[in-house]
Amino acid sequence: MLATESPTPQNDMVNRLDTAVSEVFEMMLERSCDPMDGDVNIVDGRIVARIQFTGAVSGECILYASPATAAITAEALLGTASSEPCDPMVDDAIGELCNMIAGGWKSKLEHPQAGCLISVPAVTREGLAGLEGKFGTKFCRTYSFQGNVFGIVLAF
Amino acid sequence: MRKVIERALRQAGLELTEVLQASNGEEALQALRDESGKSNSLALILSDINMPVMDGLQFLEQRRDEKLAPGVPVVMITTEGSEPLVLRAISAGAQGYICKPFTSEQVKARVVPLLPAA
Repeated sequence: MLATESPTPQNDMVNRLDTAVSEVFEMMLERSCDPMDGDVNIVDGRIVARIQFTGAVSGECILYASPATAAITAEALLGTASSEPCDPMVDDAIGELCNMIAGGWKSKLEHPQAGCLISVPAVTREGLAGLEGKFGTKFCRTYSFQGNVFGIVLAF
Repeated sequence: MRKVIERALRQAGLELTEVLQASNGEEALQALRDESGKSNSLALILSDINMPVMDGLQFLEQRRDEKLAPGVPVVMITTEGSEPLVLRAISAGAQGYICKPFTSEQVKARVVPLLPAA
């Protein structure tokens, strides 16, 4: 886990991600969401959303959560509870959450990186295997809102 | 995202009598073509930029070229807030722009002035 106190370029990237996550949760879900130490311990499957950056930045933002956390997040975002175990609305909500966080992070970059393009979200319940691209720099962050934990991998 | 926007509009106090939904620009264009001969007119078009198949900017430009719902205001809701994209959206006919994430108050402030008077 990276420390976030000293103003190194890497810490700037992480701080921007933390800020983007916090803004999305406060504005769209009306909840606070904070970074935490440790990894996400998910044993009952994962929902994974990925946004790719192209152009001035080549990389990706991957958000992953348990189905239970994903369902709670979707309910907070949409205002309605999911009605089935693999509700596509939950997948859409997690994809949109990843989209907003990736977009928020991108918007906090300096010129010309801020002009990079972001893809539409891809969402899978098949896990991270084979999904992550090969990039030189990678940050893994864990976040918690109301006891619900999810992870974000930022690579470029 | 469509559910999120619809929820934000309702939270902003707007009464939505009918909502036509499309998952990409092509579907939206077809919805406008289908609506073109009907008497009940659309009040507002909300569109993301980042969509599969046909993105929001291409949708705007094609809508302008086909003269579909020409008097209906368009508001873009998107994470893509860079100046070149905003300028392209405005030149293609967008009257409003909302960057995600947003609050229902921000949606209300951008959308209500564009709606026809009740």
